[in-house]
Amino acid sequence: MNTEIAEKIKNMLVENLRIPADELEYTSELFGNDIGLDSIDSIEIIAGIDNLFGVQMTGAARENFQTIETLTKYVEEHMGE
Amino acid sequence: MGNERRCVVTGLGLICALGDNTDKCWSAAAGGITGIREVKTFSTEDCYANKGAEVAESSDKLSHEDYDRSSLLCIKAAGEALADAGYTVTPENSGRIGVIVGNCVGGAASIDKYYTDEFKTGSAKPSDILKMPASAIANNVARHFGLNGATANIVNACAAGTMSLSYACDLIRAGKADAFVAGGSDSFSSLAFAGFHALHALSADACSPFNHSNGITLGEGAGILIIESYEHAVARGAKIYCEILGSGVSSDAHHITAPRPDGQGQMSAIRRAVKNSGLEFTDIDYINAHGTGTAKNDEAEFLSLHTLFDENKHLSVSSTKSMTGHCLGAAGSIEAVLTVKAVCEDVLPPTIGYSEEDLAVLKEKAGGIDFVPNTKREKTVNYAVSNSFAFGGNNASIVFAKKPHDLPDNTNREKIYITGIGKVCGSAAENAGEGKGIRANITSDDYKEHGIKMAFYRKLDRFSQIQLISGMRALADGKITIDESNENDIGIIIGTADGPMTEIVGFQKAVVEGGTANGSAFSFPNTVYNAAGGYFSIFAGIKGYNVTVANSVQAGIQSICYAADVLHSGGESIMVASGTDENTDVDAELYGKLGLLADSAPYSMDKPGFVLGEGSVSLIMETESSVEKRGVEKYAEVAGCAMTHCAVDFGTVSGSESALVKAIEEACADAGITPADIDAVSGFADGHKVIDGLELSAYGKAFGRDIPVFAVRQEIGEARAAAGTMQAAYAAELLSGKLGNTAAAYISGKKSDVDISGYKYILAAAWGAGGSYSAVVLKKA
Repeated sequence: MNTEIAEKIKNMLVENLRIPADELEYTSELFGNDIGLDSIDSIEIIAGIDNLFGVQMTGAARENFQTIETLTKYVEEHMGE
Repeated sequence: MGNERRCVVTGLGLICALGDNTDKCWSAAAGGITGIREVKTFSTEDCYANKGAEVAESSDKLSHEDYDRSSLLCIKAAGEALADAGYTVTPENSGRIGVIVGNCVGGAASIDKYYTDEFKTGSAKPSDILKMPASAIANNVARHFGLNGATANIVNACAAGTMSLSYACDLIRAGKADAFVAGGSDSFSSLAFAGFHALHALSADACSPFNHSNGITLGEGAGILIIESYEHAVARGAKIYCEILGSGVSSDAHHITAPRPDGQGQMSAIRRAVKNSGLEFTDIDYINAHGTGTAKNDEAEFLSLHTLFDENKHLSVSSTKSMTGHCLGAAGSIEAVLTVKAVCEDVLPPTIGYSEEDLAVLKEKAGGIDFVPNTKREKTVNYAVSNSFAFGGNNASIVFAKKPHDLPDNTNREKIYITGIGKVCGSAAENAGEGKGIRANITSDDYKEHGIKMAFYRKLDRFSQIQLISGMRALADGKITIDESNENDIGIIIGTADGPMTEIVGFQKAVVEGGTANGSAFSFPNTVYNAAGGYFSIFAGIKGYNVTVANSVQAGIQSICYAADVLHSGGESIMVASGTDENTDVDAELYGKLGLLADSAPYSMDKPGFVLGEGSVSLIMETESSVEKRGVEKYAEVAGCAMTHCAVDFGTVSGSESALVKAIEEACADAGITPADIDAVSGFADGHKVIDGLELSAYGKAFGRDIPVFAVRQEIGEARAAAGTMQAAYAAELLSGKLGNTAAAYISGKKSDVDISGYKYILAAAWGAGGSYSAVVLKKA
């Protein structure tokens, strides 16, 4: 996993979605019970990823949004497209 | 039963995309003509939608003052309504006519302008800062027309324009005013457009309620009704349009933006309104629906209407938003004006936008309900309902009638007690200096204490955080557990001066810097003033009355007066009354630029400024029978309340001292006592020499003696509405005996300890910019 990308995504989630940094690991389930993101948050993630990396995630499959790890993987695979 | 408390409509004023007066708007609405065009107010570059229903007139054509557009739209409509009502305001009658305005986005146009100026030129005009808060609107209207009755801005987003009418009727029925200029106003704003755009809630085409339902189209405007007691209208020979019967306000306790899919909250508001009108669902001839055109609203509203009205074989429903757009805080009042016209003319405005294919689909979905597609319907309208549902899960419904109808008398004159107190405030020892002032300290432990999970609290902005904690603390202190047995009998009133300004400014700055397409979907729901009350109701499960009032510093004590009004009108048995205002770097910067911050102390009388504070203080107010049933301890009785006004420029108080004296006298009279019976005052001195001077001068006139004054802002700073509620909380704690027999007070501005052991009555009073005042009398329980 590209930790530079992962760290940028983590900072974006902390800043834009007010998730406490100390409770957010790269493998935390973002849409699970603990962090509990919802559909409005996913809009914000799509906008944040677009701003940071120019990668469009509109319509991307749900599993790509599961963790910072899966988001990072998606960004790595689609950067520069 | 009885109808001696009749409220009638005697004047109408309307401005929206359909025209600049009631006749033009009504003629367009009845004719099925749309006001929706391409947006002109700001750039919609990179946005997937560009439709809006804007008012053609520029702000300088609306009124001569240098006010925010929301105030100017409201003045324009209020002017028409007062003239239509033939209401002549005189020094003798001005104190009996007040202003209650519903609003969503406050001075959004001015916030946009301020931060655009700052972004483009590096400097912005401090005078624009006073135009930002929703607090200014009703006060500006009162100032323009010289109205000196109670003022309030109801800031419950898209339900505000209906709630304002409901509250005006309650106050008139309680004898607290003869008449109100009541309604709502909102300007077209990049704030709302960018927000709904970010949520993908805008329709790319003109909105299509109960039809394609693929999003809203925003609009702007103001709708004003002159509402009077029947006796007052008859005495001055006024023409009467129609009656306003009952109304209902409820809370979904479900989600911050989406309505409950099962429609339960909407139905609760409609049920309350119909029941409070002494009617059956089968009596209703017409409903002006909320009908926004989002899939979630329309599905829930279809369900609510079918569930409640399928026995009604003559019901027509339409959404005039298909022509006016969704005017947010003005929506309910614009629709009220159109509904009054429908009742008077026996003509129903249509829902427009149906093609032949759409009509076939509608036939399936509509069942026995007539949705008045495309063209007006002529039919006798004896009883009409107008519905408004809002962000935060706030619902309101109100009934208009052609003829008088006996209303059930739910009035409850039981004693009201404070049975719980929850506080979130900073302390003077923590003053950060450098103009930052005093701030409250909230940690994750505070959330854990009340079982609030991170998944919930991370959504909250500062304003919502402090409100949630203080509200939960008050419920815990009052030993209240909310379940199915009491969830509908508990309500919330939140007072604030400045609302969630930090979230609003953060959102607006991103839009100014990055364009209208750069709005944050995460942040937008928190930019509405009622989000904090929404989150609180969702977490606590409170499904009753839920209103947020923005009305400068005094809103914290006004929330207590309002909560008492709701309890007296028989709506609920328990109310949470809160005062909440935040202090972040954004708030401190804005107050700093107004030149209002200084390192001063109450009654130092040497500086034109104060130490900014923040916080939220919540009180549990409860009827005597509820207190007895629950067997809980009482802090004190809320024995009397009063709201007064003396119209001066917003941002000033000079010249309005008489209204403070009047508030004190009226609160005492409401408690059945005179100012001579008051033992001490829990005052509002904040260190600003003009404010503190006005306070001492008014106390001199009202009490005619050296009365001890407690100054809570000494410890928490000028926490505005929170400090107001704190004044009452402190008075209640002193009277309860929990704080001992002595307390530090100021007598003629000099500090000394006083013996409070024999105290029976303490009065708490508060000021608001623009001349609004409120006062409550707390009595030893």
